[in-house]
Amino acid sequence: MRPVSRLATVGLGIYFWAFVTFLFIPLVVLVIFSVNKSTIPALPLSGFTTHWFRQAFSNGELTTALVRSVVIALVAAVLATAFGIMASLGLLALRGRTLSLALAVLLLPLVVPYICLAVGLLILVQEVSAQPTLVAVVLGHSVIALPFAILVILPRLRSLDPAMNEAALDLGASGFAALRYITLPLLTPALVSSAIICFVTSFDEFAIASFLAPSGQPTYPIFLYASARTPALLPEVIAIGAIIIAGSLLLVVLAEGGRRWAERRLVGANASPAGELAGPDGEAAEPMFATAGPS
Amino acid sequence: MLPPLLFVAVLLILPVAFVGLYSVGLRTNIPGVPTAFSLMDWKDFLTGGGGAFRSRFVYSMEITLFVSVITTAAAYPLAYYLSFVARRRRYALLLVLLAPFFTSYLLRVIAWQIMLNNNGVINSLLWTLHLRPHGDAISWLIYSNFSIALVLFYTWIPFVALPIFVVLENMDHRLPEAAADLGASRSATFWRVTFPLSLPGVIAGFVFVLIPTTGEFIAPLLVGGPNNQLFGNSIQAFFSNSPAWNYGSVLAMTLIVVVVVLTLVFGRFLRTDLRTGTGAGQ
Repeated sequence: MRPVSRLATVGLGIYFWAFVTFLFIPLVVLVIFSVNKSTIPALPLSGFTTHWFRQAFSNGELTTALVRSVVIALVAAVLATAFGIMASLGLLALRGRTLSLALAVLLLPLVVPYICLAVGLLILVQEVSAQPTLVAVVLGHSVIALPFAILVILPRLRSLDPAMNEAALDLGASGFAALRYITLPLLTPALVSSAIICFVTSFDEFAIASFLAPSGQPTYPIFLYASARTPALLPEVIAIGAIIIAGSLLLVVLAEGGRRWAERRLVGANASPAGELAGPDGEAAEPMFATAGPS
Repeated sequence: MLPPLLFVAVLLILPVAFVGLYSVGLRTNIPGVPTAFSLMDWKDFLTGGGGAFRSRFVYSMEITLFVSVITTAAAYPLAYYLSFVARRRRYALLLVLLAPFFTSYLLRVIAWQIMLNNNGVINSLLWTLHLRPHGDAISWLIYSNFSIALVLFYTWIPFVALPIFVVLENMDHRLPEAAADLGASRSATFWRVTFPLSLPGVIAGFVFVLIPTTGEFIAPLLVGGPNNQLFGNSIQAFFSNSPAWNYGSVLAMTLIVVVVVLTLVFGRFLRTDLRTGTGAGQ
């Protein structure tokens, strides 16, 4: 007997695809209205235009905010991934109670609500008599991204054969050389996944940025939020939004494809035959998101 | 090991400690005001004149729990479909399910605002199709409990399906087969074997939505009315529009305590087996 009856198979299939439709409708709506002539996003559609894209890109405030967010996200992604490597290497050596404790501390940013962390950081900035600054935003974003880096890097690190590192050391490599030439290259797929997830986490973050960014230097989400409440700016927001949505969907597909490709190469000969994705239980087929926590 | 621990200590534990100190009056942001240990603000919030915040806290928890339950229930068939029906294509389909989650959260909320608005896409669609008289908007579509719950449901459901899927995947698939071989009907197999075995994933999924939504404040700002603001909005308002950071800290601390307690209670279901390194199983 099949575990699922034919009727249930059809029913579940309809449910699944209806849900996927539901999930994509708002995204499709944004894309549709990004090329709609009317300033008000409502039906009936009033004709095709690329005007809003041109207007959005000639809006200096918007493009500056975008660039600002990209820079912040890049720095935060590098910082969080670097700390993630350090933390994962450290955790690898720990056992028992110390491991649990260190892991609990490092994953704490997953638990503390962003709004609470944001006001805490605001207080911290005030306590050290500093002004809100983008540096504080970068640091805040790095700390919330750190658990994602660890959740991506640590399982990969654990799956590596310790003999490879030992062989390097036996052959006379220094600890740093072994890390640089053996461990890190083997971690590449995880490091790329980590950097992408950390980048996205920072790029999209609103709570911390809204409290810590100086008023004259809004990040992209802050600008987005402010503009969403200004009807005149809405079409531009929708246009940029459509680009961001298309871009991030493309990034997800590319990242997943690239990761599978890289893991297939690294897993090498003992993986499935060439040209075929690793089998149903193969490690390579597991998506990078399977280890991510809530954001 | 030490640098990342210090990093978290300075940028997370220290700020939370400061929130704690502010909540009991040991520090303050107002210059010239003497600081001394005082539970005045806590008393006010818990039993005194802060009834408005208490009721907002209760409303917030109600919405959050409701959304978590509905989301988990709706996510289960998605995970079940991926794991038991879409065998070969399941990772590709999982990606399809998760993809919207990786686009900007704020943009998705804005998209819903555009759709639910009084002059928005849904209302204007109904007008265009002559299903409702022109200009007559559905009143509960936006700035209501419905809009808040819908947006939270929408944003979190892919993420709830994930842990359920992982548990279903790591489950020994011979067990339901054995149940079937021993004569159990399909529904008996599901309710007495598969579902109980997947409960850790269900609980993990439930917590995955419960914890982030307790601190939610963006969705209420964009699609909530004045009566649908959540507890996170109260915290946000105290720190952005008022100098009363000490009282705001009481609210922030309350939220932290709630989330930490939830994590401790459900923590064992959230373990991603990082300790043993056997993968992402629960």
